[in-house]
Amino acid sequence: MEFENEEKYMARLIVLGGGVSGHTAATFAAKWLGSSHEVVVVTPNSKWNWIPSNIWVGVGQMTKEEVTFDLAPVYKKAGITYKQAKALGIHPEGNESSDKPYVVIESTEAGSAGKVENIEYDYLINATGPKLNFGATPGLGEGSNLGEYTVSVCTADHADHAAHELQKCIEKMKKGERQKFLIGTGHGMCTCQGAAFEYIFNIEHELNKAGVRDMADIKWISNESFLGDFGVGGLHMKTMGYAVSSKIFAESLFTERGVEWIIGAHVNKVEKGKAHYELLDGTMGVEEFDFSMLIPPFAGVGLKAINKAGEDITATVFAPNGFMKVDANYAAGAYENWKASDWPSTYQNPTYGNMFACGIAFAPPHPISKPMSSPNGTPINPTPPRTGMPSGIMGKTVAHSVCDRILKGENAPLHEASMANMGAACVASAGKGLFNGTAAAMTIYPVVPDFEKYPGTGRDTDYTFGEIGLAGHWIKHILHHLFIWKAKLKAGWTLIPE
Amino acid sequence: MVQEITRYPSPPSVQYGTDVRVFDENLFSLIEDLKDTLKQNKLDGLAAFQIGSYFNVVVVKKEDGSFLELINPRMISPKGKITTVEKTAYFPGLSAEISRYQDISVIYQDRDAKQCSIKASGDFAVLIQRKLDYTFGANFLSKLSKEERKKFEKKLEFGTDIAISESCPTRFKRDYFSKASNIFTIAMLVLLLSSLFVSDTQILSGMWKYQIYLFLSVLVLNIGYFFYGLYEGKKYSSCTSCQVGNIIGTIVIAMIKLIVVMLVSYFVIHPR
Repeated sequence: MEFENEEKYMARLIVLGGGVSGHTAATFAAKWLGSSHEVVVVTPNSKWNWIPSNIWVGVGQMTKEEVTFDLAPVYKKAGITYKQAKALGIHPEGNESSDKPYVVIESTEAGSAGKVENIEYDYLINATGPKLNFGATPGLGEGSNLGEYTVSVCTADHADHAAHELQKCIEKMKKGERQKFLIGTGHGMCTCQGAAFEYIFNIEHELNKAGVRDMADIKWISNESFLGDFGVGGLHMKTMGYAVSSKIFAESLFTERGVEWIIGAHVNKVEKGKAHYELLDGTMGVEEFDFSMLIPPFAGVGLKAINKAGEDITATVFAPNGFMKVDANYAAGAYENWKASDWPSTYQNPTYGNMFACGIAFAPPHPISKPMSSPNGTPINPTPPRTGMPSGIMGKTVAHSVCDRILKGENAPLHEASMANMGAACVASAGKGLFNGTAAAMTIYPVVPDFEKYPGTGRDTDYTFGEIGLAGHWIKHILHHLFIWKAKLKAGWTLIPE
Repeated sequence: MVQEITRYPSPPSVQYGTDVRVFDENLFSLIEDLKDTLKQNKLDGLAAFQIGSYFNVVVVKKEDGSFLELINPRMISPKGKITTVEKTAYFPGLSAEISRYQDISVIYQDRDAKQCSIKASGDFAVLIQRKLDYTFGANFLSKLSKEERKKFEKKLEFGTDIAISESCPTRFKRDYFSKASNIFTIAMLVLLLSSLFVSDTQILSGMWKYQIYLFLSVLVLNIGYFFYGLYEGKKYSSCTSCQVGNIIGTIVIAMIKLIVVMLVSYFVIHPR
């Protein structure tokens, strides 16, 4: 009888995705819920990856092993049920035989790969992250697979491959062969300019170290309408009472390091050694390269939603780009009407109250940067970034809400964490080295500009500052160890902030 | 309406440089103000920041004399580097060498919020680039190379409240001279004191000889200090107000110390 009772009161939370947001949500939920409720993590990867450090893997300064670790032992320790599988679809209303909502998953574990299973849930947190949509640009790749002409630093494996390709180029340059590097975004609707920014300067730094900098032409290509937009419409940094915009800061850094740039560009086709692009003014161009890292655009992972009757309700639950709809204002309209309050704060799905989406998996109401398009109608503007810090905060907040609902009752108030009330700290590496490393440390508050609260730039400039130097590099390196420590749930992990 | 032009040292506030989101009467009157101010001051171009507005708006005079209104301008595809000598109304009367692009393409919006683009080259491209610098809360100071910036900052009036002071050395090299002079003077003092415990005339006469050497060395060091100080003073002309006064003052103090020690030495050490 006792067993039955336990079965009756036990709630199950499924977290889809084990990235920064999902991992944070799952580990905190497991801690708060204790052993009387179950937390299940469904992620197709067997390893956790500290993505920001992939940049260093991509230049051969760190190994793949240093930025990843096996998830299974960590989840075992935390009492989390771990399913190495890919989520295929959500049935939020259950099916004909049961009202209980469930998720369909397909195992990716060696031995049982391809096995399909239904797991029921009481609460669902969708933190799948993005699908790396290489297929959006012909030649950049097929679907979510990287093509053969360019490299990527989006995953640890990609970064490892990139490091080998970079090494080949360095060898060629040592033999006296000039090499062209093209780094940036591979589509007009990309985010993550920051990663490409870090990568280009880390490459520049490594080439200097290898003594072949003079043999390399390094060029930046991105969908930003000005250098230093970073997908957040740029930021103003106040240092020593003196204001510098990220545009000026980025332009000086590019000039100082001898890196040329093409901006306002939508890469529309990649061939062997060539990238074709369209600019905001409608002109078309081609850029040749020997080595190229182009960030792909992001899309939702392609989850389906099916109702009780078996009908496809994907369009109700997800936005057209495949990200899950949450409590955001998706009808904000044109740029001039955008408000900070359009941005979600609870990340609850409007149709199904027991579903949440956080990290990159939720559908943002609109970009943060100014929307722009070429005369041909091609949209070319950065899409909103959701970096580690906001993703972690969102994951923890959503976990808090779910735990409250499980422990205190269905009507427990939800916790809030809007990106319009959230600051973000970003440390962008511009070269790794204990004594000659550099990094640009920037903070912005809030991530989403609030034009009503802060007329003008929409940001509180007292909390927005930046600095470039060796200290920044050290911070970045310390963060690397700190966050891997936290993710491994080692002693004191709850004390380390998101 | 003609507006007053913001000039250095009014800092380029962080609040400046935000995109126009609403195209209304306020924007149109801002553009008219820019034009009036341009005409009044016979300028080629003005950014809204220069008349105290935080919007990304620029008005430039085209080669045919008509005005080009650039709302939310962005410069893309810069090509061909050139070096120009430029002046800007923000720093009246001063000029600096700046690296610019020969050909640019500018994306902007017109009064109807329609996105347009224009290609510019040569002087016109340079003019637009200079104005664009202001639209993101910067002035052309941030565009200068490190060396040129140092030079330009010297041209600026010294002692303003904005944090762009020249890097003055915290230590001057001439201080090594005065330090050596001090050490030598202390050595003389030590010699003087130790002579009190010596009665042998021969040793005393040896000590006196060393005391004279030290005396001459201090004299030479101070002469060296004077001339090197003058040379160094010219190198960092903007760093302190009255360097010659300082140098002479330091030498006078050193000489007084030297003479006192030498006079006492003469009576104590000098064997009679």
